[in-house]
This record gives sequence, structure tokens and C-alpha cells, in this order.
Amino acid sequence: MAKRPGGELATRPLHFIWICDCSGSMSVDGKIQALNNAIREALPHMAKVADENPNAEVLVRAVKFSSGATWHVSQPTPVAAFKWTDLATEGETAMGKALSLVAEQMQIPPMSDRALPPVLVLLSDGQPTDDFAAGLRALMDLPWGKKAVRVSIAIGQDADLDVLQKFIGHTERKPLQANRPEDLVRCIKWVSTAVLTAASRPASQVKGAAPLADNVPIPAPPAMAAPPSGAVQGGNVCRIHGEPEPCKICVW
Amino acid sequence: MDQLLQDGQEVHLVASGISCVVERLLGAGGQGEVYEARLESRPVALKWYYSQAPDKDRQQAEVLMSLIKRGAPDKRFLWPMDLATCGDPPGFGYVMPLRESRFHSIVDLMKSRVDPSIRALATAGFDLAESYLNLHSHGLCYRDISFGNAFLDPDSGDVRICDCDNVTVNGDTNVSVLGTPRFMAPEIVRGDAYPSTQTDLWSLAVLLFYFFHTGHPLEGQMEANIKCLDLKAMNWLYGDKPVFVFDPQDASNRPVPGYHDSVLQSWPTYPLFLRNLFTKAFTDGVRDPQNGRVRESEWRQAMIRLRDSILLCGGCKAENFYDVDAMKASGGQAPPCWSCKAQLRLPFRMKIGSSIVMLNYDTKLYPHHIDDSKLYDFSVPAAEITRHPSDPKVWGLKNLTQEKWVSTGPDGTVKDVPPGRSVTLASGTKVNFGKNQAEIRY
Repeated sequence: MAKRPGGELATRPLHFIWICDCSGSMSVDGKIQALNNAIREALPHMAKVADENPNAEVLVRAVKFSSGATWHVSQPTPVAAFKWTDLATEGETAMGKALSLVAEQMQIPPMSDRALPPVLVLLSDGQPTDDFAAGLRALMDLPWGKKAVRVSIAIGQDADLDVLQKFIGHTERKPLQANRPEDLVRCIKWVSTAVLTAASRPASQVKGAAPLADNVPIPAPPAMAAPPSGAVQGGNVCRIHGEPEPCKICVW
Repeated sequence: MDQLLQDGQEVHLVASGISCVVERLLGAGGQGEVYEARLESRPVALKWYYSQAPDKDRQQAEVLMSLIKRGAPDKRFLWPMDLATCGDPPGFGYVMPLRESRFHSIVDLMKSRVDPSIRALATAGFDLAESYLNLHSHGLCYRDISFGNAFLDPDSGDVRICDCDNVTVNGDTNVSVLGTPRFMAPEIVRGDAYPSTQTDLWSLAVLLFYFFHTGHPLEGQMEANIKCLDLKAMNWLYGDKPVFVFDPQDASNRPVPGYHDSVLQSWPTYPLFLRNLFTKAFTDGVRDPQNGRVRESEWRQAMIRLRDSILLCGGCKAENFYDVDAMKASGGQAPPCWSCKAQLRLPFRMKIGSSIVMLNYDTKLYPHHIDDSKLYDFSVPAAEITRHPSDPKVWGLKNLTQEKWVSTGPDGTVKDVPPGRSVTLASGTKVNFGKNQAEIRY
């Protein structure tokens, strides 16, 4: 018997979608393994953040793209029940098709007409090989596409920063640059905790914040290691593998 | 994974000159990380800040040193005890009392992971109001009252308040934290004001409304109409157009069945005096932030009155309320139980001055009941309801104090009630507690 009248706090759904590059180049230097590992590493932290948030029902999905695009996890899944199956690589970089796939799910229905801003995270190491602009247009033509918090992560030095910037939609936020596996872990953890929280329950507001380009204030991203081109050559040793910098094992 | 300090690492405490050993990471927030640590043999909590610009670090350290020097205004605040520093990694933080495991977050309450009684919740509401009253009476302002920084013991209703490092002198605008969305006063959301004791009063009222109704006082039809609840929509709902869901003058924002069921179910079950106070907080409190808000002392009094008005359903034992205003409106008839719908029967009750206390089988009286000059203290009861050892139909009020009481029966018989003895519950009996007089009614 309930001890008090009333019930649980009403929530709104918060859709969180990983959009992952699985093209052939992701198989080089263990990038896909690092991505699988980083997402697995982030999931418990994401579950904790969702658990501590009384206002949102966090639902997670994932899209993968290579020569085509398909749902890797198609059902919006509560984060506590979300299981990650490792991604494998093949073929090209159909990023545009992936965005079209996400756009289909941003229509009402299947989207409900009341929700928190969705969070879309695009991860890629290369250049789109299909019509990226058409995919992005399909997404941005939809109200939920426009309202979504769009974050992009460049894996390694060869990622097309221009398209990743276009996905974000304005210039105040930049794609996150993950040049090392530990940076990727940091980026993905940040997106799945800090950005997730901001989308549903913005943290304590601080004075003097600049006018927002986003409809959701996004906290500062984590500090990343300098890209290898900026690293001091000779004498320096990788903290992880003990190899001379740039480390052959962890620098892509 | 990444954490600022390592387990087993020592940090240096500035004022006491001793070291404290990091034991484990407890959690991370927007400003830094919190660890469990050991200070000599005592467990403490250690907050360690993320590095900011040097001038911001200096400013935060100065705020902390002034808070440490000042001391906690109330034992319920997990107040900074000493500044902590370390050479590697360079940085600073502070130690504070460790929150015991019996305390749960308000999020647990919102998600029904803890299930306190209404009495415990009213006690928690009392504790919160009194804590902020004590803080404000020192000229300080908390700035960020919200789900994240208050904790309650669901059994006793005791509370603890953390994140005290944003506390400043009221009126200080040279600080960064403006508050948490859904809890910030409308004038802060609109950018018209900085946090102050007046805006703390708004946030406290929101938190108390969440306590009893598990919903937000401004989330009704207007929230239901919003598709994407992003920052712009939040600023409109909580800042530009704040309308209380039960505003008697404005029905445009009533709770919507299907979306705001908890508030719809719980609101009518609470006594009119409490509903009136919430109505004042979110109507006058919007129109007149300076003079229209409900003061902590009013909340404190209301929480005491709510505790005293609890009556248990004879059938399902659910906590209901003696609502004298509602009973007057229905010709003296008690309402049905909110839970099992059975007709409620009033228990013996006691009129002490202007307050009326329900005498349930488990009721206790506290020092403030028998002596107006005593402070509120729920740790030492002054009287309790007992059953006669040989006649279970007879109930009494047992004297738990060290002083003698005097009772006058309905027939005028005067009796002493020494410590440890009871006065029989009978309608018309008067009890003289020494300072206060009371009459038992049925």
C-alpha cells in the first residue's frame, strides 16, 4: 500500500542516438576496437547519470554506417538495459544515409510530440562517400532534428572536420578531436554524461554565459591530448605504452 | 578511470596542519570530485575542484576560508571544515563531514525508491526550513537549493544539506552560480535578479512542493503544451510566464490528467492551511518577490501543524489529516480516507493553546507542545500515548518529563500526574503541563 497520495514524478523521454562510422578505415590501428571499448566504458557512467535524473527517461539507440547504413540497436532502450554488441568494419562511409535513417525516426510518429531535446552523436574517422548534404537536410527539415543536441567526434587525423562541423550546425561548438584511444574514452564519457545531463536538466547556471547558439547549454568538453603534429619530437615517451612519441600503438 | 586524486594519496589541511588520506571517489559534479577520506581516525568527505583560471581559483578559496572561519550555522549543513591543498596534482579542495548512509537523495524520493511516511516527510520539511532559517539569519544565502544538494533519512525525516561552498553573504553579486533550472526564482530565470535570501525562499517552496506532491508547482497545461522542453521553453515556463497550477485567480495552467497525475491526486488530500501556504508561495511569491514569499518560519510552523494533524485511518492505517476547515465546510463530517476510501473516525485529540494535536496510538508530544518557550526538538519526547496494562479499551497520555502535571477530569476531580504516570484520555479532561494548558476532546 502506498504510504502517501500521488505517485512517481512524471518524466519526458530523452532519445540518445550513437551514429557510428564502421567503414573499412576504422579497422586500421584498432580504431573500431577503441570505439567499442569507449562506449562500453561509458555505459555504466551513463546509466548512473540517467538514474540520478528524475525528470528524464533516457532511451538509447545506435546506427552504424559503412557501405550502407542500418540500425545497430533499433529499439529505444532504457540505458540500464542497454547492451553493446561490438561493431565490425567494412566498405565505405555512407554518412548521409545514416543521417536519413535517423531523420526517419525523428518524425512524429514514431517520435512522441512531447520530449526532451534528443542527443545525436556522430562519430567518424573519414570523409562521407555518399550524399551527406541530403542526409543532413532530411534531418534538419524536421523540428526534432533542429532541436536535437548534435555532437560530433573526429576519430583520428583524417576525419572530415568540415562535415562534422556542418552536422553540429553552428560554429560556436567544434567537433571533438580524439587522436588517442584515451581521448576517445574521455569524449564518449563526456557526451554520455555531461551532455546527457545538460539536455534534460541543465546544471547550475552560471553568470555571464554568452547568448546560446544551442537550445541547450553544453558544458565545456574535456581537455584532450595535443595532436601528434604538435607533440615534441624525440625524447618524449608515450605515457601509456612507453613508446617514443609519436607512439605507434596509440596515435592514429 | 580518470580521477583527480588517487586512493591512498595524502592532502594537507591548511588550518589544522594535519594530513588527510584519500580513500575512494564518491562522485563527480560540475565543479569537482568528492572523495571519502580519513582524517586521523575519522571518516570525512573531501571535495577537490577542477582547475579553473587562477583568479577564479583564488576567489573560490577565499569564499571557502571565510565559510570555514564562520562555522556551520546549523549541524544539518555539511559545512567546510578545513581547506585542503596538495602539490601533485596542484589544486585545492576542502574537507567536510561525511554524509551517513541513512541519508538518501531527493531523487530517490521522486523515483519512489524510498517511501517515507508523511510524518517523516513533514519532519524533513521542518528540518529544511529551520536549516535555511538559521543560514539566512546569519546573513548568508545558499543560492542553489535543488534536488541535488538536500538529503533525507526516510525513517526519521532528518535532513543533511551539502554543496555549501556556493554559500555567500546575501547581496553578493560577485559569484558565479545562479541556481538550477526548475528551482530558480522567476526573476533570476528572466535575468532580473541575482540569487538572494528571497530567491532561496522560492527554491525552498519548490522543493517542499516536490516533497508532498511529486511534481512542479508551475507544470500544468502550459508544460503539457510544450513539445520540446529545451532551455528556451524552460525559461518561458519558469521565468517569463510562471502560473501556479492551482492559482485561484487563473485557471490557465491546471494540472493535466495523464501528465500531472501525482499532483492531481495528492493536492486535495492535504489540509487547507498547507494548500493556502503553497498558493501564497506561488502566486504572491511570483508577483512580489520581496514581500510575497512564504518565510522559513511559516513553513516551519506549517510542518509542525501538519505533523500534529495526522490521523490514522482505522481500516488501512494510512496517514490522513484533521482538516478543521474542510470539516466545517462539510458540516462536521470527516472526509473518507484518501487510500481505502473508508469513512475516517477522529481519534482523541488535544487542544493546546491554538493548536490541535491528534492523539493516535503512536503519538508523542515534544517539549514545544507543553512549553511554548522550548525549542523544537524531536529527539526527547515529553509525553506518549499508552494503553492501560489491564484494560486495553483505556488509553492514556504518559508523562515522560521530570515535572509533575495536574489533570482535571470532566467531573472536576483534580489529580497529580507524576513523571512516569499517565492521565486517562477522556473528553473534557484538562491537563496543566506547568507552562501550557491543554484539553482532551473526542
